[in-house]
Amino acid sequence: MIALTSPYLWYTTRATGIVTLVLFTLVVALGTLVSNRIGGTIVGRFELNELHRSISIVAMVFLLIHVLTTIVDSYVATGIISVVVPMTSQFKRVGVALGAISFDLMVAVLVSSVMKSRIENRSWRFIHWFSWLAFIASIVHAYLTGTDTKDGAGLVLVIVCSLVVIGAALWRYAARPTRASGRTALSPLATSDTPLPSDPTTRAFPSQPRAQAQRGRK
Amino acid sequence: MIDANVLPRVLHGSSRRPLSLVQHEEAFAPRERVTSLLDELEASGLTGRGGAAFPTARKVRLLREQHGRRKWVVVNAMEGEPASHKEISLLSSNPHLVLDGAEYLASMIGAERIDVCVARDNPTAINHLNQAIHERERSAKREALIELRTLPGRYVAGEESALIHWLNDNESLPQYRPNRPSILKIGHAPALVDNAETCANVGLIGRYGAGWFRGLGTPQSPGSTLVSVTGALAHPTVLEVALGTPLRLILAAANADSDPQALLLGGYGGNWLDAAHLDVAYDNEALNPLGAAVGAGVIVVLPRHGCGVLETQRVVRWMANESARQCGPCAFGLPALASDLAQLTRGLADASGAHQRLIERCEAINGRGACHHPDGVVRFVRSALRVFASDFDQHIKHLPCPGSTSPAHFVPVPSLEREEELQWL
Amino acid sequence: MAVRRRSGGFLLKVNPILCDGYGHCHELAPELVEMDEWGYPIIVKTPTPYANVAALESARYAVRGCPRQALRIERVIDQS
Repeated sequence: MIALTSPYLWYTTRATGIVTLVLFTLVVALGTLVSNRIGGTIVGRFELNELHRSISIVAMVFLLIHVLTTIVDSYVATGIISVVVPMTSQFKRVGVALGAISFDLMVAVLVSSVMKSRIENRSWRFIHWFSWLAFIASIVHAYLTGTDTKDGAGLVLVIVCSLVVIGAALWRYAARPTRASGRTALSPLATSDTPLPSDPTTRAFPSQPRAQAQRGRK
Repeated sequence: MIDANVLPRVLHGSSRRPLSLVQHEEAFAPRERVTSLLDELEASGLTGRGGAAFPTARKVRLLREQHGRRKWVVVNAMEGEPASHKEISLLSSNPHLVLDGAEYLASMIGAERIDVCVARDNPTAINHLNQAIHERERSAKREALIELRTLPGRYVAGEESALIHWLNDNESLPQYRPNRPSILKIGHAPALVDNAETCANVGLIGRYGAGWFRGLGTPQSPGSTLVSVTGALAHPTVLEVALGTPLRLILAAANADSDPQALLLGGYGGNWLDAAHLDVAYDNEALNPLGAAVGAGVIVVLPRHGCGVLETQRVVRWMANESARQCGPCAFGLPALASDLAQLTRGLADASGAHQRLIERCEAINGRGACHHPDGVVRFVRSALRVFASDFDQHIKHLPCPGSTSPAHFVPVPSLEREEELQWL
Repeated sequence: MAVRRRSGGFLLKVNPILCDGYGHCHELAPELVEMDEWGYPIIVKTPTPYANVAALESARYAVRGCPRQALRIERVIDQS
């Protein structure tokens, strides 16, 4: 391996890391807006969905640069292997491992989304749920490996992004729409009560999706 | 050997206990060997007795054309209609006739496996079938492997795509089938799904031929059919009648109220028929122009002192709860219909708005589910709006209707299962 | 996708089981899709001629934009 190092590689890694974090925070927020059926009057629902998709591509580009500059830079001993296989880095083992996990999951989400029309919707959604896990891993990765994130503006940024995503997760659950089909693979979400007016002679239903169809799925 | 123009046919020889294999062979000794089974089936004009009345021979030909080393015959003995008891009567009388028919169907399409599907909450049927299957195994009469499968007792579980989906994936949920006619498959094996009574009739045609079969019934609706009569009569009854028999005679044979207000025909997804048409023949040619059909052989008798609005509401409420909740228009639309009907039944405020909403929602819901469950409910509600138009008017004006003095219910609607307890697996 | 069809029409079809009432189809193809009171699509049942390029484009956007991949464009053979 050619010893190639330069402060500019290192700065690029750090900068793209920050940008990726911010962009994916935005992506997650947009994703929750789509899932909770926001939009339709001022902003179209499909527009939020398109933004979600487009920004995630941009974020992936920055992520890729972040990963490539890390591999190429021999100042820190993080090679191709450690970027995809967790716990194989000499430098900041756990922090990089989390980055690797996050990267693996993001790639899976990306690939499944590119092939969305060719795979079963259930499978796509199963993989897509892991994007939450990917984000959590990336935030902890940012804190552990980040040079800038331990204090000052970097720390504020990490905290703000965490709060946005935690808030999005809570809101995602609290305002989840009543759905006819409870068929979300491994979804922890049950639908909330029916929005229909209560009927004096009948119990309000459907209040729950069909009994745990998630069990026994292939 | 039974004469061609004698009833009962499928219920012939029935007693307190189901016919054993030996008794069955004796009572149904064939006349002469039927040479080409498929030609006889085609000539007989037999149509499905499960509700859709699809020509059985056409279904068999479709399955014959399918490529596949392994094919299946699935006998649908689910009897999801609460007002129907014909399947259980048939199985309590002569399960061997049903299994004969299934074996004939298997030989016609080249299938080596037969699955008989029964609801889990029907232990009588399960017992009778188990016994019959074991009898056949011991007598080495087997040409195909017959297995009994027990499914959740949901209304939609008896729908053929739900049936096949359960056999494949263990969930009794109807499937989206955009390309009709589509072949159902168990794994890679094409499957022929037929109602148990249809199979029994195939058993008869296999022994006595098409000419014999056509000895009863009408030219367009040949043969006999089982009818479950409930409602305004002392005991729910299952009769075997020739197609084309006037409704009035059927009611008389069942000892039902001879001067009813209306009849519910077909099942919960069927139609109300005004009692003015009691002299009409019980076959689809006569019933269809009146907006009704034979359906699953269900007749519920509503007496003059019953309330059609209330009975409709009770049925729709139950049917809404039986939705698989996969499709929005059904999952949300059917409870909305139930809610509107409740407002109309109780004469609550805005009953007139409820009536209008009912009509609009029927239009909105129709045809927008993956299966025909919501369509059946819409058909049923629309027939109620037609037949009980004057009663609906009374309810809207908060005035009593002919049925409001009696608190009794006549349509046998099961109690609502709680949503958490509904089993689909 | 780039084949030009001059004759015949198409139908936008929804798989009601996959559909979860997101409503993007109504936004992207309002000339073909109405919404019912529960947020689910009511799609026109009569075929739209392929000559109606704007509608075809809207339909394609709707198919691509559906979060549940519940839509399809089906070709209807010209009856005449």
